[in-house]
Amino acid sequence: MAKLQQVFKRYGLLILGILLLVAPLVSAQYQFYVLERGVQNAIHVMGLLILIGYSGMLSLGSAGLLATGAYAYALLLLKLGFSPWLGAIFAVVITTLVGLCLAFPAFRLSGPFLAVTTIGFGEIIRILILNLEPITGGAYGVSGYSKLFANELHVYFFMVVALICIAIGTERLGRSRIGLALKATKEDEIAAEVMGVNVKRAKVVAFALSAMLAGLSGVILANLAGYLSPDSFTSAESSSYLLMVVMGGMNSAIGVIVSSIVVTWLPEVLRFLSSSRLLVYSLVLLVYLRINHVPATRERFLGILRKFGIRRAADAAEDPCGERGAGM
Amino acid sequence: MTEQKKRGKAILQVQDLTKRFGGLVAVNNLTLDVCEGEICALIGPNGSGKTTVLNLITGIYEIDGGSVTFENAQIQGEPPHSICWRGVARTFQNIRILGGQTVFENALLGKGYGNGGAGVLQTVLDTVKFRKERETFTAEVDEILEFVGLSDLRNERARNLPYGKQRILEIGRALITKPRLLLLDEPAAGLNSKEIYDLMELIEKINDRGITVLLIEHRMELVGKLANLVFVLNHGSKIAEGSFDVIKEDPAVIEAYLGKGGN
Repeated sequence: MAKLQQVFKRYGLLILGILLLVAPLVSAQYQFYVLERGVQNAIHVMGLLILIGYSGMLSLGSAGLLATGAYAYALLLLKLGFSPWLGAIFAVVITTLVGLCLAFPAFRLSGPFLAVTTIGFGEIIRILILNLEPITGGAYGVSGYSKLFANELHVYFFMVVALICIAIGTERLGRSRIGLALKATKEDEIAAEVMGVNVKRAKVVAFALSAMLAGLSGVILANLAGYLSPDSFTSAESSSYLLMVVMGGMNSAIGVIVSSIVVTWLPEVLRFLSSSRLLVYSLVLLVYLRINHVPATRERFLGILRKFGIRRAADAAEDPCGERGAGM
Repeated sequence: MTEQKKRGKAILQVQDLTKRFGGLVAVNNLTLDVCEGEICALIGPNGSGKTTVLNLITGIYEIDGGSVTFENAQIQGEPPHSICWRGVARTFQNIRILGGQTVFENALLGKGYGNGGAGVLQTVLDTVKFRKERETFTAEVDEILEFVGLSDLRNERARNLPYGKQRILEIGRALITKPRLLLLDEPAAGLNSKEIYDLMELIEKINDRGITVLLIEHRMELVGKLANLVFVLNHGSKIAEGSFDVIKEDPAVIEAYLGKGGN
């Protein structure tokens, strides 16, 4: 059992990657589409793991960056005649630069104040897209751009490989001194500064990386959908991305991938409940978050598990440190 | 004065340092020199501005007047991280370690970020340079943990450590930055007598490594045993300076601590 756990800790990402790669063989067309969206979200949320999970800077404007990436790709291709790959690279670069602008308010703002600023940022992007009709097509959206891959399956494979590489990189970053510097700015900015961490630079790096991944995710979204409209980038979207990071445990790349796919899937699974779907959806999430993040509820839940004789699972869950391992 | 001449080269020179918080003058025209290889102590009653002085030296507060010179370079106005890179490290009165991180990771934080070394790209790609750097860092951190006596707690979460060990960890983390001047803010606060004894030994060992120490302390037995030179602060001004034996007889110091005597 312990050995299995160790194997999973070491190769968990690879196993998950292989599972994702074979998934299209066994899933129906519609499920496959949801899975695609889940993986695409996971790439975006990996950036939020760096920004929110590691560095503790609450961003609720990430849909704005996603939109920047997607629209930049589409418009570079349509208006400036870029080739798809060149357009994709430039779209990611543009999104990174836009995201960098967000780092500047973060030098002085933190917590809820930063969150409000990022909400404003996300809304500005969305409203710009909505109103710059001659360029962005406004509420009609854009379509008709060419794609990176002719075959939809190839997009998916590209996406999964990219996601696993990004996840490995993110985990490495988290364990390195840069990751520590980010975590230190989250817990105690002054202590970090005094220990020789250039906090401003650390914040810039966190914003740049998360914007880069949002841009990449946006490009992929454009490739999956074939049609972009400002409705897909509301602040409600941003908060569901936040949910994905929080549910993923805010510390692990595997957690991010699993929770992104689950949170993307959940509304579809609950579709049979029709009108009460959103209610059940929120309930499931609330219960999960309470069990996972409120110690008292967690204890009670484990007590119930024991009563029903599921000792082993309860004992395994008792040690939340076990899953995190002992670092490098 | 003869005593002054025997001192070595100054490593830290504080000149006419002043800090005001609104109408309150927290530090008033403070001048003090710390010389290479010394252990100096900064003492004074509560609220006399000792911690403020450390915050001014390390760049946490902005200076309202005067200058701070470290190794012949003026450092006032620089951000804290670059003062740290110059070789000034400190600990805090209320321990500031990362509770959720392990002892090893806390110590590794002392390596800072932004002062060269492997960047984000190299970290993510796990390049040869990054691996080499990680090896040297790991070796350095393990050496320091051995030095301060925390090796056996290397993979423990910092918040699970007893209070005394957390203080030691903070000192160890400061040592990782390879300081030439170490500022300790009440390192003995909350320790029992055995721990204080160990702490004194540790500070002497640190000093033997060629690191100059400036410490704020209320425990006079520690000050008396360790400090070559003591500065006494009251209401933000220096009221006395000298060896411990001299200042403990100083009427101004006795008055600051005990109030005006009856006889």
